[in-house]
Amino acid sequence: MNQYRLFLGKEWREQARSFKLFWVPLVFIFFGALEPLTYHFLPQILESVGNLPEGSEFTLPEMTGADVYASLTGQYQTVGLLVLVLAFMGSLSGERKSGTGTLLYVRPISYAAYYLSKWTSAVLLGAASLWLGYGMAATYIVQLYDQVPDLRDVVLFLLVMAVWIVFVVTLTLTASASLPTGGAAGAALGILFIGMMIDGLVGTYWTWSPWKLQSYGLAYLTGGPDTGDLAGALIVTAVLTALLALFGILQARRNAAKAKV
Amino acid sequence: MNAVLEVSGLTKQYDGVRAVDSLTFSLAEHTATALIGPNGSGKTTTLSMLAGLLRQSSGTIRFSGAGKDPRSAIGFLPQYPNFFPWMTAIEYMELAAGLTGIGGRDVRTACEKTLGFVGLGDAGKKRIGGFSGGMKQRLGLAQAIIHRPALLLLDEPVSALDPAGRREVMEMLKEIGETSTILYSTHILNDAEEMTDQLLFLRSGKLIEQGPLRQVREKYGGSGFRVSFSDREAAEQFAGAAPWTARVDGPAVMISGDAVSMEALLRFASEHPAGITGIGRASVRLEDIFMKVVGKP
Repeated sequence: MNQYRLFLGKEWREQARSFKLFWVPLVFIFFGALEPLTYHFLPQILESVGNLPEGSEFTLPEMTGADVYASLTGQYQTVGLLVLVLAFMGSLSGERKSGTGTLLYVRPISYAAYYLSKWTSAVLLGAASLWLGYGMAATYIVQLYDQVPDLRDVVLFLLVMAVWIVFVVTLTLTASASLPTGGAAGAALGILFIGMMIDGLVGTYWTWSPWKLQSYGLAYLTGGPDTGDLAGALIVTAVLTALLALFGILQARRNAAKAKV
Repeated sequence: MNAVLEVSGLTKQYDGVRAVDSLTFSLAEHTATALIGPNGSGKTTTLSMLAGLLRQSSGTIRFSGAGKDPRSAIGFLPQYPNFFPWMTAIEYMELAAGLTGIGGRDVRTACEKTLGFVGLGDAGKKRIGGFSGGMKQRLGLAQAIIHRPALLLLDEPVSALDPAGRREVMEMLKEIGETSTILYSTHILNDAEEMTDQLLFLRSGKLIEQGPLRQVREKYGGSGFRVSFSDREAAEQFAGAAPWTARVDGPAVMISGDAVSMEALLRFASEHPAGITGIGRASVRLEDIFMKVVGKP
Protein backbone atom coordinates (compact mmCIF):
# COMPACT_ATOMS: atom_id res chain seq x y z
CA MET A 1 0.00 0.00 0.00
CA ASN A 2 2.87 2.30 0.85
CA GLN A 3 4.48 1.61 -2.53
CA TYR A 4 1.17 2.28 -4.29
CA ARG A 5 0.94 5.62 -2.48
CA LEU A 6 4.52 6.49 -3.39
CA PHE A 7 4.05 5.56 -7.04
CA LEU A 8 0.73 7.40 -7.20
CA GLY A 9 2.38 10.56 -5.86
CA LYS A 10 5.04 10.21 -8.52
CA GLU A 11 2.42 9.77 -11.25
CA TRP A 12 0.47 12.88 -10.23
CA ARG A 13 3.62 14.91 -10.03
CA GLU A 14 4.64 13.69 -13.48
CA GLN A 15 1.22 14.48 -14.96
CA ALA A 16 1.34 17.98 -13.51
CA ARG A 17 4.91 18.74 -14.54
CA SER A 18 4.54 17.33 -18.03
CA PHE A 19 1.33 19.43 -18.30
CA LYS A 20 -0.67 16.31 -19.17
CA LEU A 21 -2.94 17.23 -16.29
CA PHE A 22 -3.88 20.37 -18.21
CA TRP A 23 -3.74 19.61 -21.92
CA VAL A 24 -5.73 16.37 -21.88
CA PRO A 25 -8.79 17.96 -20.19
CA LEU A 26 -8.40 21.05 -22.36
CA VAL A 27 -8.75 19.00 -25.55
CA PHE A 28 -11.96 17.44 -24.24
CA ILE A 29 -13.27 20.80 -23.01
CA PHE A 30 -12.48 22.37 -26.37
CA PHE A 31 -14.57 19.80 -28.24
CA GLY A 32 -17.21 20.01 -25.55
CA ALA A 33 -17.61 23.72 -26.26
CA LEU A 34 -17.20 23.49 -30.02
CA GLU A 35 -19.86 20.89 -30.74
CA PRO A 36 -22.98 22.62 -29.31
CA LEU A 37 -21.85 26.03 -30.54
CA THR A 38 -21.17 24.76 -34.06
CA TYR A 39 -24.56 23.10 -34.40
CA HIS A 40 -26.41 26.04 -32.93
CA PHE A 41 -24.74 28.64 -35.11
CA LEU A 42 -24.36 26.46 -38.20
CA PRO A 43 -26.81 28.50 -40.33
CA GLN A 44 -24.96 31.74 -39.53
CA ILE A 45 -21.58 30.07 -40.09
CA LEU A 46 -22.67 28.77 -43.49
CA GLU A 47 -24.07 32.16 -44.40
CA SER A 48 -20.93 34.06 -43.52
CA VAL A 49 -18.24 31.67 -44.77
CA GLY A 50 -20.13 29.27 -46.99
CA ASN A 51 -19.62 31.29 -50.21
CA LEU A 52 -22.86 29.80 -51.50
CA PRO A 53 -24.48 30.82 -54.80
CA GLU A 54 -27.31 33.41 -54.68
CA GLY A 55 -30.63 31.84 -53.73
CA SER A 56 -29.19 28.66 -52.18
CA GLU A 57 -31.33 27.27 -49.41
CA PHE A 58 -30.61 24.53 -46.89
CA THR A 59 -32.94 22.89 -44.50
CA LEU A 60 -30.97 21.88 -41.41
CA PRO A 61 -32.52 19.36 -39.04
CA GLU A 62 -33.65 20.69 -35.67
CA MET A 63 -30.97 19.49 -33.22
CA THR A 64 -31.93 18.43 -29.73
CA GLY A 65 -29.63 18.33 -26.73
CA ALA A 66 -29.43 14.54 -27.06
CA ASP A 67 -28.32 14.91 -30.70
CA VAL A 68 -25.50 17.20 -29.65
CA TYR A 69 -24.38 14.75 -26.95
CA ALA A 70 -24.42 11.98 -29.56
CA SER A 71 -22.41 14.06 -32.02
CA LEU A 72 -19.89 14.99 -29.31
CA THR A 73 -19.63 11.32 -28.34
CA GLY A 74 -18.72 10.61 -31.96
CA GLN A 75 -15.90 13.15 -31.70
CA TYR A 76 -14.68 11.63 -28.44
CA GLN A 77 -14.78 8.17 -30.00
CA THR A 78 -12.17 9.31 -32.54
CA VAL A 79 -10.21 12.35 -31.39
CA GLY A 80 -10.82 11.65 -27.70
CA LEU A 81 -9.58 8.08 -27.91
CA LEU A 82 -6.59 9.20 -29.94
CA VAL A 83 -5.71 11.77 -27.28
CA LEU A 84 -6.01 9.25 -24.46
CA VAL A 85 -3.94 6.60 -26.26
CA LEU A 86 -1.27 9.15 -27.16
CA ALA A 87 -1.19 10.49 -23.60
CA PHE A 88 -0.71 7.09 -21.97
CA MET A 89 0.94 4.89 -24.61
CA GLY A 90 4.43 5.46 -23.15
CA SER A 91 3.47 5.14 -19.50
CA LEU A 92 5.42 1.91 -18.97
CA SER A 93 7.27 1.40 -22.24
CA GLY A 94 8.73 4.91 -22.04
CA GLU A 95 10.24 4.19 -18.64
CA ARG A 96 11.77 0.98 -19.94
CA LYS A 97 13.16 2.64 -23.05
CA SER A 98 14.59 5.72 -21.34
CA GLY A 99 16.07 3.68 -18.50
CA THR A 100 14.20 5.66 -15.85
CA GLY A 101 12.45 2.43 -14.90
CA THR A 102 15.73 0.60 -14.32
CA LEU A 103 16.37 2.21 -10.95
CA LEU A 104 12.82 1.35 -9.90
CA TYR A 105 12.94 -2.28 -11.04
CA VAL A 106 16.13 -3.04 -9.08
CA ARG A 107 14.26 -2.20 -5.90
CA PRO A 108 11.91 -4.61 -4.14
CA ILE A 109 8.86 -3.12 -5.83
CA SER A 110 5.41 -4.58 -6.26
CA TYR A 111 4.58 -4.54 -9.96
CA ALA A 112 0.91 -4.48 -9.03
CA ALA A 113 1.46 -1.21 -7.15
CA TYR A 114 3.55 0.10 -10.05
CA TYR A 115 0.92 -0.71 -12.68
CA LEU A 116 -2.12 0.21 -10.61
CA SER A 117 -0.71 3.61 -9.65
CA LYS A 118 -0.37 4.43 -13.34
CA TRP A 119 -3.82 2.97 -13.95
CA THR A 120 -5.42 5.04 -11.18
CA SER A 121 -3.95 8.33 -12.33
CA ALA A 122 -4.69 7.63 -16.01
CA VAL A 123 -8.27 6.52 -15.31
CA LEU A 124 -8.95 9.56 -13.12
CA LEU A 125 -7.47 11.93 -15.68
CA GLY A 126 -9.28 10.23 -18.57
CA ALA A 127 -12.66 10.13 -16.83
CA ALA A 128 -12.33 13.66 -15.43
CA SER A 129 -11.39 14.98 -18.88
CA LEU A 130 -14.40 13.27 -20.42
CA TRP A 131 -16.75 14.59 -17.76
CA LEU A 132 -15.32 18.08 -18.01
CA GLY A 133 -15.82 17.94 -21.77
CA TYR A 134 -19.43 16.84 -21.45
CA GLY A 135 -19.87 19.36 -18.63
CA MET A 136 -18.73 22.16 -20.93
CA ALA A 137 -21.09 20.88 -23.62
CA ALA A 138 -23.96 20.73 -21.09
CA THR A 139 -23.54 24.38 -20.11
CA TYR A 140 -24.11 25.41 -23.74
CA ILE A 141 -26.76 22.77 -24.44
CA VAL A 142 -29.02 23.95 -21.60
CA GLN A 143 -28.73 27.55 -22.80
CA LEU A 144 -28.94 27.09 -26.57
CA TYR A 145 -31.21 24.10 -27.16
CA ASP A 146 -34.88 23.62 -26.46
CA GLN A 147 -35.07 19.90 -25.84
CA VAL A 148 -32.62 18.98 -23.10
CA PRO A 149 -32.22 15.51 -21.49
CA ASP A 150 -32.87 15.14 -17.76
CA LEU A 151 -29.88 15.58 -15.47
CA ARG A 152 -30.39 12.05 -14.09
CA ASP A 153 -30.16 10.57 -17.61
CA VAL A 154 -27.07 12.63 -18.37
CA VAL A 155 -25.38 11.39 -15.19
CA LEU A 156 -26.21 7.75 -16.04
CA PHE A 157 -24.88 8.35 -19.56
CA LEU A 158 -21.63 9.81 -18.12
CA LEU A 159 -21.21 6.84 -15.78
CA VAL A 160 -21.56 4.36 -18.65
CA MET A 161 -19.09 6.38 -20.74
CA ALA A 162 -16.65 6.38 -17.81
CA VAL A 163 -16.67 2.58 -17.83
CA TRP A 164 -15.75 2.70 -21.53
CA ILE A 165 -12.90 5.13 -20.76
CA VAL A 166 -11.61 2.84 -18.01
CA PHE A 167 -11.52 0.02 -20.57
CA VAL A 168 -9.69 2.22 -23.11
CA VAL A 169 -7.09 3.37 -20.57
CA THR A 170 -6.53 -0.16 -19.26
CA LEU A 171 -6.04 -1.46 -22.80
CA THR A 172 -3.53 1.33 -23.52
CA LEU A 173 -1.55 0.75 -20.31
CA THR A 174 -1.43 -3.00 -20.85
CA ALA A 175 -0.25 -2.46 -24.42
CA SER A 176 2.42 -0.15 -23.01
CA ALA A 177 3.43 -2.82 -20.46
CA SER A 178 3.72 -5.40 -23.23
CA LEU A 179 5.19 -3.56 -26.22
CA PRO A 180 7.48 -0.69 -27.15
CA THR A 181 5.72 2.71 -27.26
CA GLY A 182 5.02 2.75 -31.00
CA GLY A 183 3.70 -0.80 -30.95
CA ALA A 184 1.61 -0.03 -27.87
CA ALA A 185 -0.10 2.89 -29.61
CA GLY A 186 -0.68 0.81 -32.73
CA ALA A 187 -2.03 -2.14 -30.79
CA ALA A 188 -4.35 -0.06 -28.60
CA LEU A 189 -5.72 2.02 -31.47
CA GLY A 190 -5.95 -1.03 -33.70
CA ILE A 191 -7.96 -3.03 -31.18
CA LEU A 192 -10.23 -0.06 -30.42
CA PHE A 193 -10.98 0.84 -34.02
CA ILE A 194 -11.21 -2.73 -35.28
CA GLY A 195 -13.62 -3.37 -32.42
CA MET A 196 -15.70 -0.41 -33.56
CA MET A 197 -15.73 -1.72 -37.12
CA ILE A 198 -16.82 -5.16 -35.99
CA ASP A 199 -19.46 -3.52 -33.83
CA GLY A 200 -20.66 -1.55 -36.86
CA LEU A 201 -20.91 -4.73 -38.92
CA VAL A 202 -22.32 -7.29 -36.51
CA GLY A 203 -23.23 -5.14 -33.52
CA THR A 204 -26.86 -6.20 -33.73
CA TYR A 205 -25.83 -9.74 -32.76
CA TRP A 206 -22.85 -8.83 -30.55
CA THR A 207 -24.74 -7.00 -27.86
CA TRP A 208 -22.47 -7.66 -24.88
CA SER A 209 -19.26 -5.87 -25.69
CA PRO A 210 -17.34 -2.79 -24.51
CA TRP A 211 -17.88 -1.25 -27.93
CA LYS A 212 -21.62 -1.18 -27.28
CA LEU A 213 -21.30 0.99 -24.19
CA GLN A 214 -21.41 4.34 -25.95
CA SER A 215 -24.65 3.52 -27.77
CA TYR A 216 -26.20 2.11 -24.58
CA GLY A 217 -25.08 5.22 -22.71
CA LEU A 218 -26.53 7.52 -25.35
CA ALA A 219 -29.77 5.57 -25.21
CA TYR A 220 -30.29 7.00 -21.69
CA LEU A 221 -30.69 10.39 -23.36
CA THR A 222 -33.38 9.15 -25.73
CA GLY A 223 -35.58 6.95 -23.60
CA GLY A 224 -33.28 4.40 -21.95
CA PRO A 225 -31.28 1.36 -23.08
CA ASP A 226 -32.19 -2.31 -22.90
CA THR A 227 -31.07 -2.83 -19.32
CA GLY A 228 -30.33 -6.50 -19.88
CA ASP A 229 -27.92 -5.78 -22.71
CA LEU A 230 -26.41 -2.85 -20.81
CA ALA A 231 -25.79 -5.04 -17.76
CA GLY A 232 -24.26 -7.72 -19.97
CA ALA A 233 -21.99 -5.21 -21.70
CA LEU A 234 -20.95 -3.72 -18.36
CA ILE A 235 -20.11 -7.14 -16.92
CA VAL A 236 -18.14 -8.19 -19.99
CA THR A 237 -16.27 -4.86 -19.95
CA ALA A 238 -15.49 -5.16 -16.24
CA VAL A 239 -14.19 -8.71 -16.66
CA LEU A 240 -12.11 -7.77 -19.71
CA THR A 241 -10.72 -4.72 -17.87
CA ALA A 242 -9.73 -6.82 -14.87
CA LEU A 243 -8.10 -9.45 -17.09
CA LEU A 244 -6.27 -6.75 -19.05
CA ALA A 245 -5.01 -5.17 -15.83
CA LEU A 246 -3.81 -8.53 -14.51
CA PHE A 247 -2.07 -9.26 -17.80
CA GLY A 248 -0.56 -5.76 -17.72
CA ILE A 249 0.91 -6.34 -14.26
CA LEU A 250 2.47 -9.64 -15.38
CA GLN A 251 3.83 -8.03 -18.53
CA ALA A 252 5.29 -5.11 -16.58
CA ARG A 253 7.17 -7.58 -14.40
CA ARG A 254 8.24 -9.75 -17.34
CA ASN A 255 9.45 -6.84 -19.47
CA ALA A 256 11.37 -5.11 -16.67
CA ALA A 257 14.38 -7.07 -17.95
CA LYS A 258 14.12 -5.07 -21.20
CA ALA A 259 14.75 -1.78 -19.43
CA LYS A 260 17.77 0.12 -20.67
CA VAL A 261 20.75 -0.32 -18.36
CA MET B 1 35.20 -13.90 6.37
CA ASN B 2 31.57 -14.61 5.51
CA ALA B 3 30.58 -14.64 1.85
CA VAL B 4 27.89 -12.07 1.09
CA LEU B 5 27.39 -13.34 -2.43
CA GLU B 6 28.04 -16.74 -3.92
CA VAL B 7 27.67 -17.16 -7.64
CA SER B 8 27.87 -20.54 -9.28
CA GLY B 9 27.76 -21.38 -12.97
CA LEU B 10 26.03 -18.10 -13.80
CA THR B 11 25.13 -18.06 -17.48
CA LYS B 12 23.13 -15.73 -19.70
CA GLN B 13 22.31 -16.81 -23.20
CA TYR B 14 20.74 -14.68 -25.94
CA ASP B 15 19.67 -16.43 -29.12
CA GLY B 16 22.29 -19.11 -28.75
CA VAL B 17 25.07 -16.67 -27.83
CA ARG B 18 26.48 -16.87 -24.32
CA ALA B 19 26.90 -13.29 -23.10
CA VAL B 20 27.94 -14.63 -19.71
CA ASP B 21 29.30 -18.11 -19.46
CA SER B 22 29.42 -20.17 -16.26
CA LEU B 23 30.76 -17.57 -13.83
CA THR B 24 31.64 -18.87 -10.40
CA PHE B 25 32.92 -16.58 -7.69
CA SER B 26 32.12 -15.29 -4.25
CA LEU B 27 32.37 -11.95 -2.50
CA ALA B 28 33.49 -11.77 1.09
CA GLU B 29 31.87 -9.30 3.49
CA HIS B 30 33.15 -5.71 3.38
CA THR B 31 35.47 -6.27 0.44
CA ALA B 32 35.74 -4.43 -2.84
CA THR B 33 35.92 -6.46 -6.02
CA ALA B 34 36.70 -5.06 -9.45
CA LEU B 35 35.10 -6.64 -12.48
CA ILE B 36 37.50 -5.98 -15.32
CA GLY B 37 37.20 -6.75 -18.99
CA PRO B 38 37.08 -5.19 -22.42
CA ASN B 39 33.87 -3.81 -23.92
CA GLY B 40 31.32 -6.55 -24.56
CA SER B 41 32.93 -8.96 -22.14
CA GLY B 42 29.71 -9.35 -20.12
CA LYS B 43 30.33 -7.01 -17.19
CA THR B 44 27.00 -5.14 -17.42
CA THR B 45 25.06 -8.36 -18.06
CA THR B 46 26.64 -9.92 -14.99
CA LEU B 47 25.80 -6.93 -12.81
CA SER B 48 22.25 -6.79 -14.21
CA MET B 49 21.68 -10.41 -13.26
CA LEU B 50 23.08 -9.86 -9.77
CA ALA B 51 20.85 -6.79 -9.36
CA GLY B 52 17.78 -8.88 -10.23
CA LEU B 53 17.10 -7.00 -13.43
CA LEU B 54 17.89 -9.89 -15.73
CA ARG B 55 17.05 -13.52 -15.15
CA GLN B 56 19.95 -15.88 -15.65
CA SER B 57 19.67 -18.70 -18.18
CA SER B 58 21.30 -21.05 -15.70
CA GLY B 59 23.38 -21.02 -12.56
CA THR B 60 22.68 -19.85 -9.05
CA ILE B 61 23.08 -16.59 -7.17
CA ARG B 62 23.08 -17.00 -3.41
CA PHE B 63 22.86 -13.84 -1.41
CA SER B 64 23.15 -14.02 2.34
CA GLY B 65 21.90 -11.42 4.73
CA ALA B 66 18.72 -10.46 2.87
CA GLY B 67 15.10 -10.98 3.73
CA LYS B 68 12.66 -12.54 1.32
CA ASP B 69 13.60 -10.12 -1.45
CA PRO B 70 17.38 -9.75 -1.94
CA ARG B 71 16.83 -6.49 -3.81
CA SER B 72 16.13 -4.78 -0.51
CA ALA B 73 19.75 -5.35 0.49
CA ILE B 74 21.31 -4.46 -2.86
CA GLY B 75 22.19 -1.04 -4.19
CA PHE B 76 22.70 -0.69 -7.93
CA LEU B 77 24.19 2.07 -10.02
CA PRO B 78 24.09 1.60 -13.80
CA GLN B 79 26.78 3.08 -16.02
CA TYR B 80 24.46 5.80 -17.30
CA PRO B 81 21.81 6.30 -14.62
CA ASN B 82 18.58 7.77 -15.98
CA PHE B 83 16.27 9.75 -13.76
CA PHE B 84 12.92 11.46 -14.18
CA PRO B 85 14.06 14.89 -15.35
CA TRP B 86 11.02 16.63 -13.90
CA MET B 87 11.81 15.46 -10.36
CA THR B 88 14.02 17.25 -7.92
CA ALA B 89 16.94 15.34 -6.39
CA ILE B 90 15.32 15.23 -2.97
CA GLU B 91 12.01 13.98 -4.42
CA TYR B 92 13.87 11.23 -6.24
CA MET B 93 15.75 10.25 -3.11
CA GLU B 94 12.54 10.07 -1.12
CA LEU B 95 10.97 7.84 -3.77
CA ALA B 96 14.06 5.61 -3.81
CA ALA B 97 14.10 5.43 -0.02
CA GLY B 98 10.38 4.69 0.21
CA LEU B 99 10.53 1.92 -2.39
CA THR B 100 13.29 0.23 -0.44
CA GLY B 101 11.21 0.26 2.71
CA ILE B 102 12.62 3.29 4.47
CA GLY B 103 9.82 5.26 6.02
CA GLY B 104 8.95 7.51 8.87
CA ARG B 105 9.73 11.05 9.80
CA ASP B 106 13.48 10.78 9.31
CA VAL B 107 13.34 9.99 5.60
CA ARG B 108 13.93 13.56 4.49
CA THR B 109 16.87 13.97 6.88
CA ALA B 110 18.40 10.70 5.67
CA CYS B 111 17.98 11.78 2.04
CA GLU B 112 19.51 15.19 2.67
CA LYS B 113 22.40 13.59 4.52
CA THR B 114 23.07 11.16 1.69
CA LEU B 115 22.89 13.93 -0.91
CA GLY B 116 25.35 15.88 1.20
CA PHE B 117 27.65 12.86 1.37
CA VAL B 118 27.84 12.62 -2.43
CA GLY B 119 28.37 16.36 -2.77
CA LEU B 120 24.86 17.32 -3.85
CA GLY B 121 23.83 18.99 -0.61
CA ASP B 122 22.97 22.25 -2.36
CA ALA B 123 21.24 20.65 -5.33
CA GLY B 124 18.45 18.84 -3.49
CA LYS B 125 15.71 21.16 -4.65
CA LYS B 126 16.91 21.43 -8.23
CA ARG B 127 15.28 19.51 -11.06
CA ILE B 128 17.37 16.55 -12.21
CA GLY B 129 16.82 17.59 -15.84
CA GLY B 130 19.30 20.41 -15.27
CA PHE B 131 22.01 18.16 -13.78
CA SER B 132 25.37 17.56 -15.48
CA GLY B 133 26.57 14.03 -16.18
CA GLY B 134 28.75 14.12 -13.08
CA MET B 135 25.88 15.27 -10.87
CA LYS B 136 23.69 12.46 -12.21
CA GLN B 137 26.43 9.97 -11.43
CA ARG B 138 26.59 11.28 -7.88
CA LEU B 139 22.81 11.14 -7.55
CA GLY B 140 23.00 7.59 -8.88
CA LEU B 141 25.41 6.72 -6.13
CA ALA B 142 23.21 8.44 -3.55
CA GLN B 143 20.10 6.46 -4.55
CA ALA B 144 22.14 3.26 -4.48
CA ILE B 145 23.33 3.76 -0.90
CA ILE B 146 20.28 5.43 0.68
CA HIS B 147 19.16 2.14 2.26
CA ARG B 148 22.68 1.18 3.40
CA PRO B 149 22.81 -1.95 1.24
CA ALA B 150 24.85 -4.96 2.22
CA LEU B 151 25.95 -5.32 -1.41
CA LEU B 152 26.63 -2.43 -3.73
CA LEU B 153 26.78 -3.14 -7.47
CA LEU B 154 28.32 -0.36 -9.51
CA ASP B 155 28.70 -0.35 -13.26
CA GLU B 156 31.55 1.96 -14.25
CA PRO B 157 30.83 4.27 -11.29
CA VAL B 158 33.39 6.93 -12.16
CA SER B 159 33.56 6.77 -15.94
CA ALA B 160 31.49 9.94 -16.44
CA LEU B 161 33.49 11.99 -13.96
CA ASP B 162 36.44 14.33 -14.39
CA PRO B 163 39.67 13.40 -12.58
CA ALA B 164 38.83 15.48 -9.50
CA GLY B 165 35.31 14.06 -9.32
CA ARG B 166 36.69 10.56 -9.84
CA ARG B 167 39.05 10.95 -6.92
CA GLU B 168 36.26 12.28 -4.73
CA VAL B 169 33.90 9.41 -5.60
CA MET B 170 36.63 6.82 -5.08
CA GLU B 171 37.18 8.26 -1.60
CA MET B 172 33.43 7.98 -0.97
CA LEU B 173 33.44 4.38 -2.15
CA LYS B 174 36.28 3.56 0.21
CA GLU B 175 34.20 4.96 3.05
CA ILE B 176 31.10 3.04 1.93
CA GLY B 177 33.25 -0.08 1.65
CA GLU B 178 33.72 -0.09 5.39
CA THR B 179 30.10 -1.14 5.85
CA SER B 180 29.14 -2.61 2.45
CA THR B 181 30.50 -5.18 0.06
CA ILE B 182 31.24 -3.60 -3.30
CA LEU B 183 31.37 -5.16 -6.73
CA TYR B 184 32.15 -2.70 -9.46
CA SER B 185 33.06 -2.84 -13.10
CA THR B 186 35.65 -0.45 -14.41
CA HIS B 187 38.00 0.16 -17.24
CA ILE B 188 39.93 2.81 -15.31
CA LEU B 189 42.52 0.45 -13.94
CA ASN B 190 44.29 2.99 -11.77
CA ASP B 191 41.11 3.27 -9.74
CA ALA B 192 40.76 -0.48 -9.51
CA GLU B 193 44.32 -0.68 -8.29
CA GLU B 194 43.48 1.74 -5.53
CA MET B 195 40.33 0.11 -4.20
CA THR B 196 40.39 -3.61 -4.83
CA ASP B 197 40.62 -6.64 -2.64
CA GLN B 198 39.77 -9.03 -5.42
CA LEU B 199 39.94 -8.95 -9.21
CA LEU B 200 37.64 -10.71 -11.65
CA PHE B 201 38.80 -10.67 -15.26
CA LEU B 202 36.13 -11.27 -17.88
CA ARG B 203 36.64 -11.98 -21.55
CA SER B 204 33.86 -12.99 -23.94
CA GLY B 205 31.59 -13.70 -20.98
CA LYS B 206 34.03 -16.05 -19.30
CA LEU B 207 35.85 -15.52 -16.05
CA ILE B 208 39.43 -16.04 -17.14
CA GLU B 209 41.24 -14.96 -14.01
CA GLN B 210 40.33 -14.13 -10.45
CA GLY B 211 41.95 -13.65 -7.12
CA PRO B 212 43.26 -11.09 -4.66
CA LEU B 213 45.21 -8.25 -6.25
CA ARG B 214 48.51 -9.33 -4.66
CA GLN B 215 48.10 -12.91 -5.84
CA VAL B 216 47.28 -11.84 -9.40
CA ARG B 217 50.24 -9.47 -9.36
CA GLU B 218 52.57 -12.22 -8.27
CA LYS B 219 51.23 -14.51 -10.93
CA TYR B 220 51.49 -12.07 -13.81
CA GLY B 221 54.12 -9.63 -12.65
CA GLY B 222 56.95 -12.16 -12.51
CA SER B 223 59.39 -11.84 -9.61
CA GLY B 224 61.11 -8.59 -10.47
CA PHE B 225 62.90 -6.31 -8.01
CA ARG B 226 63.12 -2.59 -7.58
CA VAL B 227 66.21 -1.00 -6.04
CA SER B 228 65.63 2.62 -5.06
CA PHE B 229 68.41 5.23 -4.89
CA SER B 230 68.86 8.72 -3.54
CA ASP B 231 69.44 10.01 -7.09
CA ARG B 232 69.47 8.89 -10.68
CA GLU B 233 73.26 9.00 -10.96
CA ALA B 234 73.67 6.41 -8.21
CA ALA B 235 71.05 4.28 -9.93
CA GLU B 236 72.90 4.45 -13.23
CA GLN B 237 76.19 3.47 -11.56
CA PHE B 238 74.54 0.49 -9.88
CA ALA B 239 72.90 -0.63 -13.14
CA GLY B 240 76.20 -0.31 -14.99
CA ALA B 241 77.99 -2.46 -12.43
CA ALA B 242 75.28 -5.10 -12.15
CA PRO B 243 76.04 -8.45 -13.83
CA TRP B 244 72.32 -8.79 -14.83
CA THR B 245 70.12 -6.87 -17.21
CA ALA B 246 69.00 -3.86 -15.21
CA ARG B 247 66.79 -0.99 -16.36
CA VAL B 248 67.07 2.49 -14.89
CA ASP B 249 63.67 4.00 -14.12
CA GLY B 250 64.20 7.44 -12.55
CA PRO B 251 66.10 7.12 -9.25
CA ALA B 252 65.53 3.35 -9.28
CA VAL B 253 66.75 0.22 -11.00
CA MET B 254 64.38 -2.50 -12.16
CA ILE B 255 65.79 -6.04 -12.34
CA SER B 256 63.98 -9.01 -13.78
CA GLY B 257 63.37 -11.80 -11.33
CA ASP B 258 64.25 -14.35 -13.98
CA ALA B 259 67.86 -13.12 -13.88
CA VAL B 260 68.57 -13.04 -10.19
CA SER B 261 67.37 -14.26 -6.82
CA MET B 262 66.69 -11.92 -3.91
CA GLU B 263 69.61 -13.44 -2.07
CA ALA B 264 72.07 -12.72 -4.90
CA LEU B 265 70.68 -9.21 -5.31
CA LEU B 266 71.12 -8.46 -1.61
CA ARG B 267 74.65 -9.79 -1.71
CA PHE B 268 75.49 -7.61 -4.72
CA ALA B 269 73.83 -4.59 -3.11
CA SER B 270 75.88 -4.98 0.05
CA GLU B 271 78.98 -4.86 -2.11
CA HIS B 272 77.72 -1.75 -3.96
CA PRO B 273 75.74 0.15 -1.31
CA ALA B 274 76.27 3.68 -2.67
CA GLY B 275 73.01 5.69 -2.62
CA ILE B 276 70.68 2.71 -2.02
CA THR B 277 67.54 3.74 -0.11
CA GLY B 278 65.48 0.58 -0.48
CA ILE B 279 65.12 -2.83 -2.09
CA GLY B 280 61.80 -4.53 -2.74
CA ARG B 281 59.72 -6.53 -5.13
CA ALA B 282 58.69 -4.56 -8.21
CA SER B 283 54.98 -3.87 -8.37
CA VAL B 284 53.58 -4.53 -11.80
CA ARG B 285 50.84 -2.19 -12.97
CA LEU B 286 47.31 -3.52 -13.26
CA GLU B 287 47.16 -2.27 -16.82
CA ASP B 288 50.05 -4.57 -17.74
CA ILE B 289 48.30 -7.47 -16.03
CA PHE B 290 45.11 -6.60 -17.89
CA MET B 291 46.93 -6.75 -21.21
CA LYS B 292 48.52 -10.07 -20.27
CA VAL B 293 45.30 -11.65 -19.01
CA VAL B 294 42.73 -10.25 -21.39
CA GLY B 295 45.04 -9.90 -24.34
CA LYS B 296 45.86 -13.60 -24.29
CA PRO B 297 44.16 -15.55 -27.10
